[in-house]
Amino acid sequence: MSADGRPVLQVADLEVHYGLRRRRRRVLHGVSLSVARGETVGVIGETGSGKSTFARAVLGLVRASGGRILIDGEDVSRYSARQWRALRRRGVVQYVFQDPLRSLDPDLPIEESLIEPLLVQGVGRKEAVERGRAYLARVRLDSELFGRLPGELSGGQRQRVAVARVLVTEPALIILDEPVSALDSANRVGILEILKELRDAGVALIFISHDLGSVAGVADRIAVLYQGEFVEVGDARAVISNPRHPYARLLVGSAPTLRSAAASRAERDALRALLHA
Amino acid sequence: MTRTRSDGTATATVPAARPADPPAGQPPAVPSPAVPSPAVPSPAVAPTTADPQSAAAPPAAQAPALTVRGVRIRDEVNDREIVHGVSFELRPGRAVGIVGESGSGKTLTCRAILGILPAHFAVSAGSIEIAGRDIAGLTTPQWTDLRGSTISAVFQDPASYLNPSLKVGVQIAEVIQVKSGLRRRAARRRALELLTAVHLRDPELVYDQYTFELSGGMLQRVLIATAIAADPQVLIADEATTALDVTVQAEILDLLADLRERNGLALVVVSHDLAVVAQVCDEVLVMREGEVVEHGPTADVLYHPRHEYTRLLIAEHEQYGLDRYLADSDSTTDPDPDPDPEADPHAGIGPVAGEQRKELDDVR
Amino acid sequence: MVRRVLALPAGRLAVGILSVIVLLAILGPTLAPHDPLGTSALTLAGPSWEHWLGTDYLGRDVFSRLLAGSRTSVLGSVEVALIALVVGVVPGILSVYFGQVFEWFTLRIADTLIALPFLIYAVAVTALLGNGIPQAMFTVGVLVSPLFYRVARASTLAVARSQYVEAALISGASIGWIARRHVWGKVLPPVAVALAQTIGIGFVVVSSLSFLGIGVQPPAPTWGGLLASDLGYLSYQPWAPAVPALLIMATVWGSNLLADAIRDVSGEAGRALLNSRRVRARRLDPAEPIPAGGVAP
Repeated sequence: MSADGRPVLQVADLEVHYGLRRRRRRVLHGVSLSVARGETVGVIGETGSGKSTFARAVLGLVRASGGRILIDGEDVSRYSARQWRALRRRGVVQYVFQDPLRSLDPDLPIEESLIEPLLVQGVGRKEAVERGRAYLARVRLDSELFGRLPGELSGGQRQRVAVARVLVTEPALIILDEPVSALDSANRVGILEILKELRDAGVALIFISHDLGSVAGVADRIAVLYQGEFVEVGDARAVISNPRHPYARLLVGSAPTLRSAAASRAERDALRALLHA
Repeated sequence: MTRTRSDGTATATVPAARPADPPAGQPPAVPSPAVPSPAVPSPAVAPTTADPQSAAAPPAAQAPALTVRGVRIRDEVNDREIVHGVSFELRPGRAVGIVGESGSGKTLTCRAILGILPAHFAVSAGSIEIAGRDIAGLTTPQWTDLRGSTISAVFQDPASYLNPSLKVGVQIAEVIQVKSGLRRRAARRRALELLTAVHLRDPELVYDQYTFELSGGMLQRVLIATAIAADPQVLIADEATTALDVTVQAEILDLLADLRERNGLALVVVSHDLAVVAQVCDEVLVMREGEVVEHGPTADVLYHPRHEYTRLLIAEHEQYGLDRYLADSDSTTDPDPDPDPEADPHAGIGPVAGEQRKELDDVR
Repeated sequence: MVRRVLALPAGRLAVGILSVIVLLAILGPTLAPHDPLGTSALTLAGPSWEHWLGTDYLGRDVFSRLLAGSRTSVLGSVEVALIALVVGVVPGILSVYFGQVFEWFTLRIADTLIALPFLIYAVAVTALLGNGIPQAMFTVGVLVSPLFYRVARASTLAVARSQYVEAALISGASIGWIARRHVWGKVLPPVAVALAQTIGIGFVVVSSLSFLGIGVQPPAPTWGGLLASDLGYLSYQPWAPAVPALLIMATVWGSNLLADAIRDVSGEAGRALLNSRRVRARRLDPAEPIPAGGVAP
């Protein structure tokens, strides 16, 4: 699926630490990943595995203590706050939050939230509204929702608005943090389909989740993050059908599927024992 | 409302082995909390692997622990009916699952059963019986008496149900003191037993910890321990594993299955995820917009979905879930002991192949 | 917001009382039938057609003095509230964004101001800056401002950690943008509550100060001043203090009612309250259909 040789995102040996001096602890260690245009990478990890920190580091919200991050070939690891703001205004990298209710200002009509990135860029209001409408159609939302408040929309509609909001700047890379976990089936499929379209249009996607199952259908590659390190990176099919690292095996074995959990309880217990050893 | 259940040891022929009723004629074994059923090939058995003898479920003759008949719930603010008639029956040691999206009325139904409907919501028709007792006319003291000792519940966000400034053990012990009238020391001992029963590694340590020191999975275990402290007959798990990591979710589901087998606890498992419900329950209700669109034994619902919405739920898993990959690489990754000869990845959506259907028909 | 406040009986009552007071403040001096400063030989007279509320110890018409005094009293309390608002809210919002040094200093200053007894301090400052209502009210306003600082800061903190602010940040928005677009709307309702409350406090303060003879140069009338002079002649006219006292009480009560009404209609609690009303209304009047739709009015 990957087109265009140059990766949108290159992360090499990323290190992130939190805290100071004696309370300093390592959150990410030697994390490397590169994402090409039109590629979808699933980053899977449990709570505290560092998956959110990874996203925040790429977005410049967390400072890396080592390693390099290249966005569109540009080394951003040493960027100043001003440089970051300029980069963000260009809208190359965008982020979709897990909970659309909290990521949209409850007191602003959909329209205002949707066109905010454009207004920040300095696009005139009239043009911004026009472009906003176009993207609302792209996520299959009626433009009559424009004047509504987020509270008046359903969860699925809200998440579509959140997706449309990041699309208005035509980003090259979108990081999605559990974008479908707060949604129910029908809406989940809707969002995943939109993501597939984006991928086909050449947008690179990083899909962050704790659940292998929610990523399986869209990811080309899967990276399993465990205790701040990528313990397994590979083709989605290979990782799911033939995981090697014990944690990856436990993940696959724990995911509930229609055909019952993939691993038996004894196997899961054995894997857990192995991990804790 | 309920379809005829498959009977006998049908599980081997049903694809992916859904739990079935125990063989007819099994003696009415009253489940004892202390003695695990000897037939349970411990500990590998999740209920989905449905060893026909493993279900501690007594035969259908035993009185239902929970009966819900045509329950309708109204929102009095907008004067709208939110739930349009839910009916099911739950016998001790069995599990019923309710699947549906947010706003489908599944949580309201649970709250109605527990008598804790939010303000301005009311049951407008139908009846609910807990252990043979109609809850319609219960007074507050009677409710207090019933909750915990007969029916109990765990919800999505465990931390918000525990007091952050008290040790968790003390909170469990308090429930025991109130519900079972035990003295402090005995209550502590019982609380430690319960913490062991929910598979916490170091119960003594956990007893003296505060909520912020425990992970989400551990907190959910603590809450389950609290919920079963007074030996209830029915436990409602409303999205109890939704906020947890997948690996932890598997542990909690295993735990619920365990409790069901060992203690004969009847479960109502509510989830937006069909797979979660399928893993634990023998019977599934699919709800949509307050309506029960599908109701039947799990295998039936999974392999012969009648309603479009149920098909959508199944298709979602098959297209976007792990099922997509696991279905065709079965031999390497699915260590399910049950043989699963013709794993047709689309068995759930399309009409079932002739041979398979014949098998299933034979089963019935 | 205004519509929702007016939907509550308490809100309507509060707005009614406060409108009357404001009208008094605007028109009072022109409505006064007599010269509020004009003395006459008729001292300490009872109510009559000529003098509706009688005359004071210098023979001045009490009703005219009340009307004339309302402007000073009301302006004074509004001044207190506005000064507190400006001095408190702006640093309150900025303390969240302007780094730790600014935060630390403004917090300590707020703590210090809270520790000072404002009435006594106002007395001291008038000694320095001269005896006048503006000086006294300025001091009081500054001393009350920590209330606004705290309120604004607390609600800004809640907003600053929210995801939509982070989303704006990721889009490259500046702090000014975020403050204007996202923070201001969330800080306003609690600040409005604090403002209504402070107007009430301001009224008591103006009245107390003029009762003590500070801030107002005699013979200029104020409600507190009237109360003070009436109290001196209690044995002659026991009922006289009741009128200015009632006016002061009504205004403070009106302000507090307004503060309560604003609190009741904003946020989660407001919606719950409105829902309860709707259900009750339906039970009383089942014939009338209630428009269906979301809970957010």
